[in-house]
Amino acid sequence: MGYLELEVLNNQPAQAVAIGIDLGTTNSLAAAWINGRPVVLRTEDDSGIVPSVVNVSESGEPLVGRKARDQAVVDPENTIFSVKRFMGRGLADLDVDLSSLPYRVSETERGLVQIEIHGRKFTPQEISALILTRIQQLACQVLNTQEVRSAVITVPAYFDDAQRQATRDAARLAGLDVLRIINEPTAASLAYGLDQKKEGTVVIYDLGGGTFDVSILSIQDSVFQVLATAGDTHLGGDDFDRLLVDLAREELGAKLSAEELSDPAFLQAARLAAEKCKHALSTAPECELVLVVPDSNLHWRRNVTRTEFEARIEPLIQRTLNACRQALSDANLETAQIDEVVLVGGSTRVPAVRRAVEDFFGRVPHTELNPDEVVALGAATQAYVLSGGTRELLLMDVTPLSLGLETMGGAVAKLIQRNSTIPCSVTEGFTTYADNQTGIDFNILQGERELAKDCRSLGKFKLTGIPPMPAGMARVAVRFHIDADGLLTVSAKEESTGVQARIEVQPMHGLTDDEVEGMLAQAFEHAKEDFDARRVADLSAEIGTMIHASEKNIDAGREHLDREALADLEDALAAARLARSSQDLATVQSARDALEQATLPLAAVLMNEVARQAVTGRKLDEM
Amino acid sequence: MMHTCPSCGAGLETPLGCVACGVLVSPASAPSPFEALGLEPAFALDAVDLKRRLLRFSRLSHPDFFATASPETRELAERGSAILNDAYAILSDDFRRADWLVTHLGGPSESDEREMPKAFLMEVLEWNETLEQARNSDAPASLLALDELHEALVRRRAELMRAVGRGLAPLPSEGASAGAETLTGLRRSLNAVRYVDRALREIRALRLARAAR
Repeated sequence: MGYLELEVLNNQPAQAVAIGIDLGTTNSLAAAWINGRPVVLRTEDDSGIVPSVVNVSESGEPLVGRKARDQAVVDPENTIFSVKRFMGRGLADLDVDLSSLPYRVSETERGLVQIEIHGRKFTPQEISALILTRIQQLACQVLNTQEVRSAVITVPAYFDDAQRQATRDAARLAGLDVLRIINEPTAASLAYGLDQKKEGTVVIYDLGGGTFDVSILSIQDSVFQVLATAGDTHLGGDDFDRLLVDLAREELGAKLSAEELSDPAFLQAARLAAEKCKHALSTAPECELVLVVPDSNLHWRRNVTRTEFEARIEPLIQRTLNACRQALSDANLETAQIDEVVLVGGSTRVPAVRRAVEDFFGRVPHTELNPDEVVALGAATQAYVLSGGTRELLLMDVTPLSLGLETMGGAVAKLIQRNSTIPCSVTEGFTTYADNQTGIDFNILQGERELAKDCRSLGKFKLTGIPPMPAGMARVAVRFHIDADGLLTVSAKEESTGVQARIEVQPMHGLTDDEVEGMLAQAFEHAKEDFDARRVADLSAEIGTMIHASEKNIDAGREHLDREALADLEDALAAARLARSSQDLATVQSARDALEQATLPLAAVLMNEVARQAVTGRKLDEM
Repeated sequence: MMHTCPSCGAGLETPLGCVACGVLVSPASAPSPFEALGLEPAFALDAVDLKRRLLRFSRLSHPDFFATASPETRELAERGSAILNDAYAILSDDFRRADWLVTHLGGPSESDEREMPKAFLMEVLEWNETLEQARNSDAPASLLALDELHEALVRRRAELMRAVGRGLAPLPSEGASAGAETLTGLRRSLNAVRYVDRALREIRALRLARAAR
């Protein structure tokens, strides 16, 4: 129709943009650099926030975001939340009480966490990829573009190599080209620094849904340099909720059986009720914790005062302050030398958190920027820099954890100290201890503890291809490089012969390249189906609008249309009505195109009519 | 030591690339920390100038500015930035800077001069005793002793590093026997600094642990 076409003219697809994605424990959000500033990608009546929740139906159909969250109580076993906590982790690493999870979690032979939904096993990477895909779709919609292919994705600063790698793999599964993995507090500092145009030494206190980070930065001449970072990847608002869930479980202990207390529906309901109560307590001095589980005929209310809640979360707040002390000590700074403190992450809305931070640093923290959006905004800014938009800003980040090798006695020889500016590398010499030895194994560790068993193994690395020579003669130089994403790469060379030795990596808690390829192949199969289904739905809706508009106007246009045009239009309308019930993309597409063609004469008639009416009855000088 | 830019012919401030035209250069051999930051080897340096050099050259070679470049150029940026960051880490730390100079002037290594004077080792034992007491007791006396030890160690470190600075200005030459003697003396002082630094780290950890309680 005429008006449809006019709109199409204004809808030139936007240039391909790189977006910034805050892939959070509780919520995820995308932003992009538009007209000289970072903007949250949202539709008009929406916050843009996608809850990081995935629900998978029995037929394998995934729901993501708010719709998935709505299934939490109805379909608790198949509604996955807080999957970020499992990224790059084995079951042994988790400090989560598995009985408190409504869904089933198990472990692969290689020690990877997997989540079982309708008997199908999903890795955390796959679940995260579904969230990223949803974000990507929304971004396409808001930016009115066919595809958003590249992105900067944020991770907690305190994420180790395996967790970063897992995030990268999730993005790969979602078909995203990751321009850079950046740290959440660093991203926040970018958004803050740009917004406030401030310079000096800044502390970013970032308490999210599942993770806590504190970073100390120096901002000077548009250089954002991280001096030190510390944190806890298992500490966040989720834990505040859990303390309230524990309260409910304690007090209902007499009423309900152990099974009922671990029932998925009970747990999801309790979790949601706790979250709601926590939110209310940020503004009200007291609130009712209301727990309703229809299946168990449970209707329970309990008044919770803010004071009681604060007493419960106090130890968790103290843990965040310990990390602050650590970061200050590493940066060799006293609280008095800090110019600004910025609060990031939804959990910093809790008044007790604000108070504790204020008392600790002796200054009122900044809260002007929306704590839910600032990380995505910073990521979008960095995406703009990385896609060549500006050389003004320079971000220099650090590696949060020391990197080392296991020695013969099970101790750790540190290679790279924590808080070293990245990229950084170190080259170590190795030699053989047996004649004609062609390989060396070593275990790479990340962490601050002295013993290998207390650090986190990134994997066993096997160095092969050393030319045969007497023991101790080989001089193998192994280069450990932490890149700008904070990811480790290892390369090796035998120096006396110049032979490039090979490094095989067996990630402890990550996916091998083959596994990612396999999942990708599978995802592509489904991606085609998913894409087609969505396209059919969109086209079908469009046909509906066109039929409606045509039917409304056909009588008015009848007298001006020639017989042939009229017959074409009626045929096309009939075909289009039929095509609406089809699921075949080609059929629906051609019906829509035919209808568009057939409506052109009618559109022209209507346009003329509009123009004629506008002109009629007006004096020439009015025009 | 400095070369000219293969692309625009300007003089190179750092062997890692050309600030004038922005091209990255792959140096034939790994540059020393001083070379990387465009400095002549010396113990005394201006911390503000050093930082300015790091940022200036990072603006040239940081991988963020090459995210969409070819894999080879990205690799060059990664390597160049790593060299700069490592150079800055060494030169901005007085101990590491002195250690680098003594080693590269042909002086003895840390383990070559492991033996410390008996009197010094007795002192270290006393420090450890104070630390041990503070670890096991919250009594005001042991906390006070810890604070005093901290102050004494900071002073001690400053004295030792001042002596090292004097020994390194001008830089002793490795060939001359007087130079070799100086280098051995410097290494002994640096080994003493290591002991002091270890004790200072212990104090820091202790204070953190105490605050966390």
